[in-house]
Formats: sequence, C-alpha cells, structure tokens
Amino acid sequence: MTRKNAVETAGLSHRYGDVQALSEVSLEIYEGEFFALLGPNGAGKTTLVNLLMTLLPPDGGQAWVLGHDVAKQPEAVRRLLGVVFQDPALDDRLTAVENLEIHAVLYGLPRRRRAEAVQRAVAWAALEEAAKRLVRTYSGGMKRRLELARALLHDPRLLILDEPTIGLDPQGRLNLWERISSLRANGMTVLMTTHNLPEAETCDRVGILDRGKLIAVGSPGELIAANGGEGATLEDVFIALTGRQLRDENATARDLMVSFARRGGEHTR
Amino acid sequence: MNLLPGIAPAVILVMWRREVLRYVRDTSQLFGGISRTILWLVILGLGLGAALREIEGYTYAQFILPGVITLNVLFASMQCAIALIWDRQVGLLREVVISPAPMLSVALGKLLGGATIALVQGIIPFLFTPLIGVEVTLAAFLLALVVIFSMGITLTGAGIVLASRLRTFEGFGAISNGVIQPLYFLSGSIFPLRGVVGGVGFLDIPEHLRVELRQLGIYAIGGGWVVQLPVWLQVLVYANPVSYMLDTLRFVLLDFRQLPLALDLGVILLSPPLAVIASAHAMKRMTTSR
Repeated sequence: MTRKNAVETAGLSHRYGDVQALSEVSLEIYEGEFFALLGPNGAGKTTLVNLLMTLLPPDGGQAWVLGHDVAKQPEAVRRLLGVVFQDPALDDRLTAVENLEIHAVLYGLPRRRRAEAVQRAVAWAALEEAAKRLVRTYSGGMKRRLELARALLHDPRLLILDEPTIGLDPQGRLNLWERISSLRANGMTVLMTTHNLPEAETCDRVGILDRGKLIAVGSPGELIAANGGEGATLEDVFIALTGRQLRDENATARDLMVSFARRGGEHTR
Repeated sequence: MNLLPGIAPAVILVMWRREVLRYVRDTSQLFGGISRTILWLVILGLGLGAALREIEGYTYAQFILPGVITLNVLFASMQCAIALIWDRQVGLLREVVISPAPMLSVALGKLLGGATIALVQGIIPFLFTPLIGVEVTLAAFLLALVVIFSMGITLTGAGIVLASRLRTFEGFGAISNGVIQPLYFLSGSIFPLRGVVGGVGFLDIPEHLRVELRQLGIYAIGGGWVVQLPVWLQVLVYANPVSYMLDTLRFVLLDFRQLPLALDLGVILLSPPLAVIASAHAMKRMTTSR
C-alpha cells in the first residue's frame, strides 16, 4: 500500500510506565495542509510529535511520514522534517551563522552548498545585521525567527512547530505568523501544536487530543458546527470537548532547567 | 563514500569546532585553569614544600606537578561533558538528536572537543615549570601531551556517561565536590602511596638500607621518613583509574612512578576506546528518552 499523506498514523500508542500517553491515535494530515494539534497539558501532543520525529519508538500501531515508516526508516523521516521546538534549541554561545552551519552539516548538505544555504537562511530570518553576534544577545523573537529559518534550511517537506508563537510580544507574534503563512502559501505542510485557539482557527484542519485520545478532527468550521453551532468559537468547542478541569502537571526536568536558566544559569551553559 | 557506518567526518569536525569555539569565548575557563595552577602548584606546592622538603628526592611542588595537570584536565573534561545536561534540555542537543546525523560521530566530536580543551588547560602548568625547577625535555613534553589527551578523552567520556544519567542540573558545585575532587585527592596526586619523605636535619639513609628499601619498591633519596598510606586509602587509590593515568604522567615528566607500568600503560591505551564506546552509547540513550 502506498501512503501519500504527509502524516498518517494507525492505532498509534505509547505509554510511559503506567501512563498511557497516547492511545490508538489514527490521523491523516494531507500534503500542503496546515494542521493544528490542540489539547490540554498532558494530552499527548508532545508524545505524538516525538513519535513522528522518531525520538520515541511506538509501543503500538504505526506511523508514516510522507510514506516512510517512522519505526523502520527513521533516517529517511528525519531528513524530511523541519522542527521548531517550544524553547530555543540553539547554542547561545555561538553566532547565528555558526548555529546554521552546524545544522547544514548535520543534515548532510554538500560543502559547496552550505555557505549559500546559511546566507539564504540569515536573509530569510532578517538577521543580516545580527548574524555574527552571539545568539545569547538575541531577543526571543529573533531566536524564534532564526530557529524557523534553520528548520527550513535543508528544504524539509513537513514542518513541525511546537507552540511557535508562545512567549512572543504581539509584534513578534505577528511577524512570525506572517512568515509561517508565507510558507503555507508556497505549499509547505505544517503540523503545529498550540494553545492559541484564534491561531488554530486559521488552520485548514484541527485535531483535538485529550488524555492520549484523538477526540475530534476537522476544519474549524466543521468542529464549530458539530459542537457549538452558530456564533461559537473554537475555544467554546475546545472547552465543550475537554472540560474546564485544570490539568496541573509536575514540573519536568526541562521546566526545572528553564527556570534555572532564567535565574541566571551557570557558566557550563 | 562512507566506509564506516556512523563515521561522518564533517559531523565530527563541526561538533569539535563547536566545543572549541565555546571554550575560546568563555575566558573564565582559561582563568580558572591559571588560578588553579597558581593556587595548587605555586602556593600550596611551594608553601607546603617549605615544611615537607622532599618526597622521594623531589620537592613537593615538583611532586604535585602531574597532579595539578590532572586537576586541570578533570575540570576541563567534566565541564565540557556536563554541559550536555543543559544542552539536552534547553540547548542545541535537541536539534542534534532529531537530525539524521549519526550519533557516534556527534559523540566523537564532543569527545575530541573535550580532549582538546583538556589538552590546552593541561598545558597551563607547564608554563610554571621553571618556577619549581622542573626541566621538561621536548620528548617528555610530547609524551605528556599524549597522556593528557588520553586522559581528556577518557574523562570527557566518563562525564558524558554521568551527564546522560542526570536529568537536571542546578550548579557545577555538586560535580566539583562529588566527582572531580574525590578523583583528584584519591589519585596519589598530592601524597605518595609510600616512600621517603625528607625533612631538615635527618641523617642520610645508609646504603644497605637504601638497597633493601628499593627491593620493597621504595626509592630512598637523601634522608627522610619512610611513609605508607593507611590500607583503606591505598585501596581507594588503587581502585581509581585516574591514579594510573596520573602515575604515567609523573613517570613521563619526573621519571618516577609508584604503580605497575603495565597497568599504567594499559589504562592509558585502553580507556579512550572504552570511553568512545560508552559515551556513544550514553548519547544514543539520551536521544531515545525524553
């Protein structure tokens, strides 16, 4: 069977110890689509994304990225993905150019194409002036632009964005959103996780995860029509489907590190 | 094109370059290496040396020279390796682990980077050798560099394995007090395992006693006390792999050693490849868990 979708999962499951983080998720994301994955904290968004990025092996079910099985062809899958994480995954003691050069090498760009690809990414992120400055001197918005440019450097076919506009000021948010929209216009497939429902409302389709299960999939219009009706927003639908209960979670190792970094961190960074 | 699976020279080079660039830009590390050398070699070495006079014919400062080099290597390697904990949660490593680059090459670049930094930091004490009266020949210096590089690879690898088991990190203090200093103090760096410690006014040791001592493996030069570590301390020193690396370094620099040469060379030659395998495995593990 040939699978042409950008993403396809069949009965995809994963558990951490006793916790069923993802159970029997079957999902299709079409090529060229702009897809938003919604869900309360701990719903399984990160687990699903990590499975697609081949960071975790599936416990059950299967998943394909552009026809490649994530369990059997992880390297092929990785080459097709561009990823922007929620927190910056940059070396902030290096310059933007140096960070981009590392990416170019990691993705196996031939030497003669590297410099040009890096320059193009710098220009795309509008960071020409700051390109030779250490990333630690950058604002949050500049880092996010750099990461987005980096994720595109190796011409991926599927872009995965984990809460791309979180923590940005309205200007930064608008700017980044315009960049993402321009990609969409060029036919890029985008899978985005978000808590920002107005942003999700502009996507082609939305999937809502809750407690590891995919509880709704459809265009924002369809979901509103099915669950809220006239005058409702996606937020109303989201609350109707997932409830009002708070989803408190313990701080993860990453949260602890991020807060340590905010308090000043240490020289070993 | 690629004959060895997992070996991508460009990836090794770019990860090595990253470590070296970070080191070059972080002047606090160079400063730490210089201040550590002054504190231990010049101040403690010459200060305590004034009271101790000689260990096996070497001044105290001369005796601890290889130890101070080892201390600098320990700090450089651990600092480079422990940075992985950051890197994994809020740094570049997350970008690296989702890339198609082979993890073995990433680990090799990291190890070679750590060893290069350790080499530079380990050279600092050599600048002070005229002050403590040690003459280092070119051949001894080059041999010492080989030993230091082997130490750098091994200790960076050990640090990577340690880092892969730590989820969070709130300060280098725990690593310094819990890992670096025990390894340093228990490596025979600042006291001999056994031997003759000379003091002012002691009579020279008679020749027949000197011969007998030599048969026991104690080399008496001049006059002094014959000392031996308590057994429990000996056990810890013998169990510490750093002891053998340090002993080799002391043999190369001062022509004096206290442990079997075969073991010394065994550790120096075999531990780097083991470190490569263990750290590549540890980094692979880091990629498949959250």
